[in-house]
Amino acid sequence: MTKTTVIIGGGVAGMTAASRLANLGDKVILLEREEEIGGHLRNWDRLFPNRRPGYEVLDDLRTNLSNQVDIRCNQTVASITSQPSGFHMELESGEILDCDVLLLATGFDLFDARKKEEYGYGIYNNVITSADLEMMFRSGQPITTSQGEVPSRVGFVHCVGSRDEKVGNLYCSKVCCVTGVKQAIEIKEQFPDSKIFGFYMDLRMYDRHFEEMYYEAQQKWDINFLRGRVSECAENQDQTIILKIEDTLTSRPLRMTVDLLVLLVGFVPKPETLRLANLLGIKIGEDRFLESLDEHTRFNHTIKPGIFVAGTAKGPLTISKTIADAGEAALQIHNYLKTIK
Amino acid sequence: MIIEGKKRIWQDYQKEIADDRYFYVRSCIRQNFFPGSEKAFLRIMQEELKKDVYENAAHTTCSGIGYHSDVVPFDTAMTVIARQFSLMTESGYENFVTSCITSFGLYSEVLETWKHFPDVLKKVRGYLKEATGREFELPRNVAHASDVIFRFRKEITARGIRRLVDHKTGKPLRVVEHIGCHYSKMFPSKGVGGAEYPYVLVGMIEEWGGEVVDYPERRHCCGFGFRQYLVRANRGYSLANSKKKFESMKPYKPDFILTNCPGCPMFLDRWQYTLSEMEGTTYGENGEGIPVLTYEELAGLILGYDPWDLGLQVHQVPVEPLLNKIGIPYNTSKKFLGKDGQDLGKPDAPSVLKFF
Amino acid sequence: MGRLYDLMAADVRFKEGLKACLNCGTCTAICPAAEFYNYQPRQIVDILQTKDEEKIEALLKEDMIWYCGECMSCVTRCPRGNAPGLLITVLRGLSQDLGYFTESEKGRQQLAIKRTVGEWILEYGYCMFPIEVRPEAHPEQGPIWKWEVEHIEEVMNRLGANYAKTGPGILRKVPDEDLLELKKIFDVTGGTRRFNKIEECSRQKAKEMGMELNNSLDSEYVHHIYTTNDPKHTTTE
Repeated sequence: MTKTTVIIGGGVAGMTAASRLANLGDKVILLEREEEIGGHLRNWDRLFPNRRPGYEVLDDLRTNLSNQVDIRCNQTVASITSQPSGFHMELESGEILDCDVLLLATGFDLFDARKKEEYGYGIYNNVITSADLEMMFRSGQPITTSQGEVPSRVGFVHCVGSRDEKVGNLYCSKVCCVTGVKQAIEIKEQFPDSKIFGFYMDLRMYDRHFEEMYYEAQQKWDINFLRGRVSECAENQDQTIILKIEDTLTSRPLRMTVDLLVLLVGFVPKPETLRLANLLGIKIGEDRFLESLDEHTRFNHTIKPGIFVAGTAKGPLTISKTIADAGEAALQIHNYLKTIK
Repeated sequence: MIIEGKKRIWQDYQKEIADDRYFYVRSCIRQNFFPGSEKAFLRIMQEELKKDVYENAAHTTCSGIGYHSDVVPFDTAMTVIARQFSLMTESGYENFVTSCITSFGLYSEVLETWKHFPDVLKKVRGYLKEATGREFELPRNVAHASDVIFRFRKEITARGIRRLVDHKTGKPLRVVEHIGCHYSKMFPSKGVGGAEYPYVLVGMIEEWGGEVVDYPERRHCCGFGFRQYLVRANRGYSLANSKKKFESMKPYKPDFILTNCPGCPMFLDRWQYTLSEMEGTTYGENGEGIPVLTYEELAGLILGYDPWDLGLQVHQVPVEPLLNKIGIPYNTSKKFLGKDGQDLGKPDAPSVLKFF
Repeated sequence: MGRLYDLMAADVRFKEGLKACLNCGTCTAICPAAEFYNYQPRQIVDILQTKDEEKIEALLKEDMIWYCGECMSCVTRCPRGNAPGLLITVLRGLSQDLGYFTESEKGRQQLAIKRTVGEWILEYGYCMFPIEVRPEAHPEQGPIWKWEVEHIEEVMNRLGANYAKTGPGILRKVPDEDLLELKKIFDVTGGTRRFNKIEECSRQKAKEMGMELNNSLDSEYVHHIYTTNDPKHTTTE
């Protein structure tokens, strides 16, 4: 009988793993909670480091999904139990699914910026998140302040929801720094006369082309980078945002006013992932992302045979690294399928 | 500003506040500078709300001002606090209520320390036994007196005869609220509403008909700074902090400032006076300054208590303009009389601020 | 580990207050003292985590540790869970207990605080008493306060006090046996030891500085520490 793999999560990782497995001749069912597949990629306008449109990557992923892949949207897993040979699932729709292999590709949520109360997201109109800004870029409309005006001073706050004991996330979310630099350049492109500020603790420009983006942001686009973590925001009577920060490189605490403040929100583990992990007995790390069997040599295995994991359910990753990771997961699954009766 | 955003946060920070049988400990600064407020608190709790609020005459300061100006070591402060708990225990109470915010912060800090470091609790038990022979239980609940008034704000409305409304125009009064730093900055979960958008005073203002005014320096310290005020050489710091707040709130034209810490209203009141003398600046309209009230005074006004019973005559920034706005009658000729109507003369008028 | 660092590390507030600092400046951004003084609490934490004995000893002798107003705004915000405000109370305690506090202008002020608030705690059972807040030393309290102090008993009783009498009430006389318990607590817990150390070191410093220091608040040395404020604390030149 053909062995079946069920992939939970139809984002970048799930789509990639599904198409790889299908190409290798394996039977795949792709379950997606929302109405359509694509995950967060649907919401990004342009991707770092080269600022190419996100939809191009999404189209590529979709195209690779042969019609061999059984894609089922609007499906949530209600319960799963391990069987001697595989897994038995009950979906919320009432449907029953049995499979031999499970791939958890449930992805991530963005940090809810309202939790960082002192930044006033959801209270001050001109405080938005990087995700809000991406949607504004995607809409094609010009960026404006809440009063409908052209922003002349825009600030980017790094590390929102990351590296922060106060909100319970000690880890670094990796991609927010490069996102901040990208978006700073994009706003400056739209408004060449504006003053753009990046407020950072460290600039994590770790991957290929990232450091060059930082250089370009300073040299070509005059983005001002200020080393200090924003401590507090308040709203002036004219709805501009006044923020308190220390320029730690010159040891000067200061107040600054901006028209628009963008919070670079990080990754948080999805509650759904934690729920499934508990149902399945998969290990969760201290940072609440999923643990793989071995950090270096079994990065897509879990402690349970037959259960694999791919993508950002294991922690922050860029899109290109998620694709690579999911490809490796598919190969591991394909090899595993050969070993089971 | 999107008020729903704040409301969500207020929902998240609920706090247990005992509803009766309180062991009450007084505040150094409140007693000295706003004695009418402590009197009003007990009158409201005991006479209006028929609550059991007990004061053991053997109690003392928690030594918070001494501790925060660093002349009193932590071990000493903890043991003085342990003694207060001993008095509470021997009086048969478990719900502890402090009049002072710094006290509230210090009691909270000490209890948290004992929770995380039980060997320290053991050491303090030893110290107290050695010094006084006393033993103690930990309180079941610690609240600040403003938490208690907050808890019973609706009951106060029910018995109240005034609203925070301009009685001529019907418009709600614009109120700036100022929370003492030691209320929730160290332990946000111990404050109603947390540290960023505390609700304890907002709740009172809203309940009694006023409009809360937010402004950029709302969370800024008033500048007491303990040693920064106590030593004259440092007082500029204290003044500068308050000035920062006044400059920030001025464009919002508040009708008054409401506070919950004993020190803050004293500073916000006296520094307005000082700035008017030094620079000629006043922050209200017509050279009147912005009146500063304690929550006990405000609750008392809502309930119709006489302003001079509440102690409003000892505020340096005149409260009369506010009383006029609300429509609260007062008798100026009785303002500076003694308890039995004795003539005690009058204070001198300041050079700039109005004096009634 | 050096002796000074070990002494501090034994304090629970140090354990609570110093995890690891990454110098992000969140504390300094919100600190009122950093706003007005040439001061960054971040620097204090940064020095402490070097564990360098020499640097720490120098810190205990500097003005820098005396600018803080202990408002704890830093504690609310630090993303690493540090508490600069708490660390400063540890430093200030150590600076006094070791006698280093007289080396700095701001540190020397501790005598004035000990002889006012410190002694009032033991004398009145509270940190202040109206007649001690002398209008001459506190012009900022205003003319109404001056009038109050001139008629203190009448005014306080008008406002519902049980002024200087026994029994419960505002500004009551705390019974002597209770004041004695407070004194014993101070004796047993190191409070008296600190008070004595403040006096002893201040006397020595007054001698070095050639100033008169007797037991009263009106001594030359006390007046000097109470009023001297070097402009360097706030100017940037």
